[in-house]
Amino acid sequence: MVTYITRRLLGMIPMLFAISVFVFLLMHMAPGNAFTAILDPRLKDPEQLQKALEQAAGLDRPLPWQYWHWLQQFVTGNMGNSFTLHRPVAELLGPALENTLMLAVLAEAMIIVLGIPIGIWQARKPYSAFDYASSTALFVVYSTPYYILAFFLIYFFAIELQWFPAQNAVGTGPGAGSLVDHLHHAILPALSLALSSFAVYSRFTRASMLDVGRLDYVRTAYAKGLSENRVFFKHVFRNAMIPVVTQFGFDIGNLVAGAVILEGLFSYQGMGYLFLQAVYNRDYPVIMATTLIFAVAILIGNLVADVLYAVVDPRIRYN
Amino acid sequence: MPAHLTSSATPSPAAVSRRRTVKSPTRLALERFLRNRAAVGSLVVLCLIVLASLCAPLLTHWDPSYQDLMNTDSPPVWPAHPLGTDANGIDYLARDLYGGRVDFLIGFVDMAVIMLISIVLGGLAGFYGGWVDAVIMRIVDFMMNFPFLLLIIVLQSLVPANTVWLLILVIAATGWANITRFMRGLFLNLREAEYVLAARIVGAGAWRIILRHMLPNVLGPLMVQATLLVANLIFTEAALAILGFDVPVTVPTWGNVLKGAQDFFVLQSEPWAWLPPAGLIFLTILCMNFISDGLRDAFDPCFD
Repeated sequence: MVTYITRRLLGMIPMLFAISVFVFLLMHMAPGNAFTAILDPRLKDPEQLQKALEQAAGLDRPLPWQYWHWLQQFVTGNMGNSFTLHRPVAELLGPALENTLMLAVLAEAMIIVLGIPIGIWQARKPYSAFDYASSTALFVVYSTPYYILAFFLIYFFAIELQWFPAQNAVGTGPGAGSLVDHLHHAILPALSLALSSFAVYSRFTRASMLDVGRLDYVRTAYAKGLSENRVFFKHVFRNAMIPVVTQFGFDIGNLVAGAVILEGLFSYQGMGYLFLQAVYNRDYPVIMATTLIFAVAILIGNLVADVLYAVVDPRIRYN
Repeated sequence: MPAHLTSSATPSPAAVSRRRTVKSPTRLALERFLRNRAAVGSLVVLCLIVLASLCAPLLTHWDPSYQDLMNTDSPPVWPAHPLGTDANGIDYLARDLYGGRVDFLIGFVDMAVIMLISIVLGGLAGFYGGWVDAVIMRIVDFMMNFPFLLLIIVLQSLVPANTVWLLILVIAATGWANITRFMRGLFLNLREAEYVLAARIVGAGAWRIILRHMLPNVLGPLMVQATLLVANLIFTEAALAILGFDVPVTVPTWGNVLKGAQDFFVLQSEPWAWLPPAGLIFLTILCMNFISDGLRDAFDPCFD
């Protein structure tokens, strides 16, 4: 297992290298750069100032040199300075990563808490009225794009009821920046994300519970006189969770895309928001760093899915 | 639609008489699809939405870019502005109806292009295997690990899509990886099929085998993927609009109309501005999902 994980981790390096080259070339293909927009044309000599700024950032050098320079700095842990926010990229990433993790963990927790019990409940009495009604309802919720859910959530919970804020990742005033404050701000975006994807878990759980419920060992458990509940939760549930658990890893890609859209919509200062701002401002070092972190997250998500598969199901061996 | 809703259907008289008459698999699939009420209902609703946007000039006489400056920010007034107007006096109904045209254009054209790419690349990878497969799949892996949305946003910011066709091109260039991987899996399964072997023995060429022998056999999953893809593309259009990476706001699309309501005042006091585009996006995606579910059940030989 350790060798397998090591091999997979090493395999990520060429992929990340390719992605970084690609983003780098894409960024530099378009005319203009971060300094074209921010300079005041009323300055005495804006062109000269722009040249000086470009020279300081190394933008006047040939592209291969620029890439090589960036790579050298990056592998030693220096991600450069933001062109427009005037701070080291690493400093910007810290709080953004924290906020996005908060959002992702909260959303994932909601997905599991909502999704798995509904699936179990449906599997308890399959083909019943409740099963049909809830399956249809879940299908409808699942089909609703999360930004539309977000519009409704903002309308009801932020504007009408004023329970939760619909802007920013932290509040102002006393208590700002505390864990409660963070959670308070993360609830609406997390809920939008969770509502549109918990149905996947319900469907998975239901199907898996029904599949496992038909196996011989379950009949044996009933035959030796175990109670319905005991069979259901001890014997069926544990094995039924195998395919469900592996879904966690694949969620990460989903959460990344969701984070970009929802953080943009809620002005929630996470990785997605940082990335969007960097793209608007042509802030090259920040674009590079955020894209690579997203790519690492997705690669690790796939790895986690494969590893979880082997952990929960001892029959699977990677060697 | 969950599978059990169709699987529990009792054998109809048609099913009994089928034993005597021989029907082609496609015919059988079509019959199964037509028995699925949710799917057929969705198809009808979807056709109505498409029709409404195609017949937009018959349903509203406003141009989606005409500014009725005497009636800006108007609430719904029948018959002048059934859904009100925005801050520039542009009629919301006209924007919603004409917006559907752009959304469906993006959805269907990109679907066709992406399906074509995935059939060609997936077919080649699945048919040849070996190094062809390895090369194509490495590219697919690269595209898949590159978050699709990020790539589209970076591309959009560099090549600002001032026209719908440029946006279509950008989406097609970034959105083919998942489906190609899926198609490759389908073709790979058929590779060892006996009729493919037979076709090889009689000397059929690669393209003939891929297109004439393998493709008809993956028609079912292909159609399921195609409908899901259209839903996904309409989702993507509006998502890009909300982030500000869509076609310019003057072009009516559902996403652009929705983005116009992304301010607390409009959200709170002008539901006629954002409920219709939100509802249209939701309905279209829901219908597409129901249809793809109906197709999946219809083409699944395990059913019936």
